[in-house]
Amino acid sequence: MADYRDAPLASRPKTLDPAEYFAVSPAKRKAEEERAAIRAQLKRQFQLQLNDPRRVTTIEDPALTRWTYARVSNVYPTFRPTPKNSLLGAVCGIAPLLFWYFVFKTDRDRKEKLIQEGTIERPFQLSS
Amino acid sequence: MLKILIPTLMLFPTTWLATPKWLWTTTTAQALIIATASLTLLNWSSETGWTSTNPYLGTDPLSTPLLVLTCWLLPLMILASQNHISPEPVSRQRTYITLLVSLQLFLIMAFGATEIILFYIMFETTLIPTLIIITRWGNQTERLNAGTYFLFYTLAGSLPLLVALLILQKEMGSLSMLIIQYMQPAPLCTWADKIWWAACLIAFLVKMPLYGVHLWLPKAHVEAPVAGSMVLAAVLLKLGGYGMMRMIIMLEPASKNLAYPFIILALWGIIMTGSICLRQTDLKSLIAYSSVSHMGLVVAGILIQTPWGFTGAIILMIAHGLASSALFCLANTNYERLHSRTLLLARGMQAILPLMAAWWFIANLANLALPPLPNLMGELIIITSMFNWSSWTIILTGTGTLITASYSLYMYLMTQRGPVTTLITAIEPSHTREHLLMALHLIPIIMLTLKPELMWGWCF
Repeated sequence: MADYRDAPLASRPKTLDPAEYFAVSPAKRKAEEERAAIRAQLKRQFQLQLNDPRRVTTIEDPALTRWTYARVSNVYPTFRPTPKNSLLGAVCGIAPLLFWYFVFKTDRDRKEKLIQEGTIERPFQLSS
Repeated sequence: MLKILIPTLMLFPTTWLATPKWLWTTTTAQALIIATASLTLLNWSSETGWTSTNPYLGTDPLSTPLLVLTCWLLPLMILASQNHISPEPVSRQRTYITLLVSLQLFLIMAFGATEIILFYIMFETTLIPTLIIITRWGNQTERLNAGTYFLFYTLAGSLPLLVALLILQKEMGSLSMLIIQYMQPAPLCTWADKIWWAACLIAFLVKMPLYGVHLWLPKAHVEAPVAGSMVLAAVLLKLGGYGMMRMIIMLEPASKNLAYPFIILALWGIIMTGSICLRQTDLKSLIAYSSVSHMGLVVAGILIQTPWGFTGAIILMIAHGLASSALFCLANTNYERLHSRTLLLARGMQAILPLMAAWWFIANLANLALPPLPNLMGELIIITSMFNWSSWTIILTGTGTLITASYSLYMYLMTQRGPVTTLITAIEPSHTREHLLMALHLIPIIMLTLKPELMWGWCF
């Protein structure tokens, strides 16, 4: 095999690394063969469903099902209050309410005070 | 009023006596005739504002747009349910249509009520058919949880309202809306008075929903079948808005100070629920949270009690009703083909169903409040009114508009653009019925752009 060396900013991909092909331990080879067999079975399942002329449904992707279940229906059972997410809840959920309450109250009280004193200019508005 | 109510009552015999072959055609046709008849309610001929009155029911420019929307929605609901109900036995199909019709009946009586107690009773009664539709005909196991949340959130909010109304009846002697608008505003200084004020509004705030008490809505909307989602999004939320508008007239002047927490919850809710929309996995859940966001704007518009606030609220309620219902119908067309609501699963649909993509486009543009549609009219009027109330609200409402645009665009791009998912190899073409359904949703929105006076309510 040609002598491919690692470049400064790019390492060799696994397919060009001689250690992948020569001097592989039998245990590692067996493990890789088993994984390849499982992959082949999955691909066979998929191809059987894909080319079945009588199939009308979509092919179910179990990974998608698991992911959707986790994101939609399994949120509360897997939630645990931690300092980080309690802080997040307080910052995003509670603090803004208090903050905006003070902003609006001060602004409107200031305007009300100006109206009471009569210093504010309020041109007639048909719409408000 | 009776010319609407009696044909709706007669839909019950139609449902049970029609031959199975003609069941859906006759019920849809009769519902469409009722909808056309309801358009006559738009002729407001009386100086006092209330028309079509009898001792118990009447219409005025506030309730008429909502009434017409309700009547318009029944044929659309029947059209939308036709496909997914067809495998069931005929008596069950008849039961389903009966539930939809009874919901319609209670809603017409609710919006037409002149006594607030009648409105309250009808408000509660609409919960029952909706609960049955969600828990019996919903598709996932979570529908039981959804029904429980829906029922108990609304009930817990509305029982204090019953007590508040009985107190009001004892004080004032009458609860007729025609009389209550002339009553002396109560000073409302004691703690009990303030709790009475809150009790009057909490039921409607839960129904709208306000941001803090909105948890029932995503569950109920997602688990309901398409007709349930349509009626929930389009009409039942507006029951809350309508109730608030009726009650808040007599809650002055305490509302000036007591309304602050609710206005702030509503405004912050626009941003929070809009942001949640961008992280949703489930398409119907996205549309449900967008409903909460729009209704937050409506709640804020109503609570500041200015003429433009009310006007913007009604316009946004009608426009959002039609647009949201259209989006749920579109989500259902996806669901019927793929039996999944996952956003990631149904991508690149524009390449497969280009005509449906056109409807997706228009519905999403309506949702993001594109000018000149009434969605923008309502939002802009509320935003202007809130700016006048306090200049700093523009930060919240402006950011809210931005987030609305981004999640509407996200919904469109995720479902229509991009590569087609490889798992999908066979999709039914779009039915004419689905195109008709979408046209009947979106053409009224476009036509309302040309005559918004129908929706402006009595502040103009």
